Amino acid sequence: MTATTTDLSRLSTPYWQRTRWQTWLLIAVLIGGGVLMLYPFAWLVLSAFKLPADIIRIPPTLWPEEWSLDAFQVVLSHKIGGGSLARSYLNSIFVTITTVIAVLITSTLGGYCFARLRFPLREPLFYFVLSTTMVPFLTLLIPLYVVMDRLELLNTLWVLIVPSIFSSFGIFLCRQFVYGIPLELYDAAKIDGAGDFTIYTRIIVGMMKPVISVLAIFSFRATFNDYLWPLVTITDAGNYTLPLALRGIGNSFGWFDYSKVMASSLLTLIPPLIVFFIFQRNLVKGIALTGIKG
Amino acid sequence: MAVTAGSSPTGAAPVRSWRAWLSQYSWLGMGFAFSLSLFYLVMFVIPFGTAIWLSFNNWDYIQKPVFVNTRNFDKLLGDPGFWNALWTTVRFSAVEIFVALSLALLLALALSHLRPVYQYTLLAIYNLPVIMPGVVSVLLWKWLYRTNGGAFNAILESVGLPAQPFSRSPDQALWCITLMVVWIFLGNSSIVLLAAINEVPDSLLEAAQLDGASAWKRFTAVTLPLIQPAMAYQVVTSIIGTMQMFEPFQLMPGPGHSTRTLSLYTYQLGFEVLNLGYGAAVSIAMFVILLSATLFELQRRRKSWDY
Repeated sequence: MTATTTDLSRLSTPYWQRTRWQTWLLIAVLIGGGVLMLYPFAWLVLSAFKLPADIIRIPPTLWPEEWSLDAFQVVLSHKIGGGSLARSYLNSIFVTITTVIAVLITSTLGGYCFARLRFPLREPLFYFVLSTTMVPFLTLLIPLYVVMDRLELLNTLWVLIVPSIFSSFGIFLCRQFVYGIPLELYDAAKIDGAGDFTIYTRIIVGMMKPVISVLAIFSFRATFNDYLWPLVTITDAGNYTLPLALRGIGNSFGWFDYSKVMASSLLTLIPPLIVFFIFQRNLVKGIALTGIKG
Repeated sequence: MAVTAGSSPTGAAPVRSWRAWLSQYSWLGMGFAFSLSLFYLVMFVIPFGTAIWLSFNNWDYIQKPVFVNTRNFDKLLGDPGFWNALWTTVRFSAVEIFVALSLALLLALALSHLRPVYQYTLLAIYNLPVIMPGVVSVLLWKWLYRTNGGAFNAILESVGLPAQPFSRSPDQALWCITLMVVWIFLGNSSIVLLAAINEVPDSLLEAAQLDGASAWKRFTAVTLPLIQPAMAYQVVTSIIGTMQMFEPFQLMPGPGHSTRTLSLYTYQLGFEVLNLGYGAAVSIAMFVILLSATLFELQRRRKSWDY
């Protein structure tokens, strides 16, 4: 940047207000970068509509010569072992929604309990929960599999839900947030005779909306995209979640039929895209707000 | 602490003092603490304890585990597979974090000069890959990296450069994965940094400008120290994330063991060759390495952010 000379007229204006051409240059560079980011994504979307002859062309062409929905039709009727893409879709949605709801309840309740309620061993318990995040999942993978085997949960959808019911990160985030809620609100409700649980449902949950949407996205992403844990615990194709079904489709169609792989990938992306566009703004605000900065 | 009230020995019946002790606590809190403890006992304490115990045993999941003392750890120290996996993990993790964080910082700095509306819109584009399941990204990039007729080789050839083997070459496969992972997490890292940069008071930057500080000087002397905590957070979460990353290494492997990381090695030992004891030992080693790396990084950063 060349504009280093002191320009008094600019000093009272916000930081982002540069001279006009600098701003346009910046936007142009950022859009250029954005195009690079979207480039692989464009291949995914456009290839899903290609015919087999089109997809193996050398050199490859980004734009389909003839638009076709064949790949979607094939993929939707394709059997993956004892399951199908549609079945995996339902599995994924069931597992994700159940987990997200569970995480939201336990995290908000946990944040409230750890920040405002009295019970024995409160602080040691909280620091214990926090310290569990230091242990990599890979270390717990083998023994957790054994535990799930003993509980006879292997190969059911519950094996994907149960280990995620409590989230250390979520409890930590919510506790920080509840500390920021004025004590007066809590005391006033207490004087009015409200019990702990009423205060939680009537006051705390309502005030935690910003943190809830951040947590919902994180939890959605972690559950919906999870691959390793389902890979290990689910062997029955009827209980496959979408990442596993995609792997199956990737294995059963070769380069020649790659439009099928891209079509199923595109179908898989619909729920995350919806969630993403609803919550994107909250995500940026939420991260600024959760105090991750310090 | 009012906890001592319960133990006041004023001749009251023990039942009463027990009730007094209990009445100062919240039933909701105790109920929650109980279910939380039960959950972490089954999902964390028992598995973690089992992992440590298993690392001193040999087990193939079928017969009874056999106690072998520290033999698994002795084996680990002399196992080229382990050292190779560790070296691959460290190279991947270090390069990914350095490249992704530098780019994310540039991106966040550039975005911070724009109005919030533009910030959100552009961030949405950069953030798109983050929401994709890892499997989708890998299936997509695997195809783009194809040696014959892949999009990347088509670009190289169109500008007159020789086609590359990419994932088929033991030298390039790891960096192919690294590039993809940078692409996935770039937007996400810059959100945190942007949030921190937006919090840097304009008055400080203006004061520095009045004193004649150049743009570079303002960045290194004002912005960078103030966003140090966000950088530390980003580095630590990236260390944890990259060291444990699994999908790309399993689904887009390079030739031989050129992209076998510690996470893939643990998985293979536990679920492919069924050497659970040794797998547990490798995973414990991974835990120790990750813990030391995180603590080291936090300690190093903390020095520079005590202002």
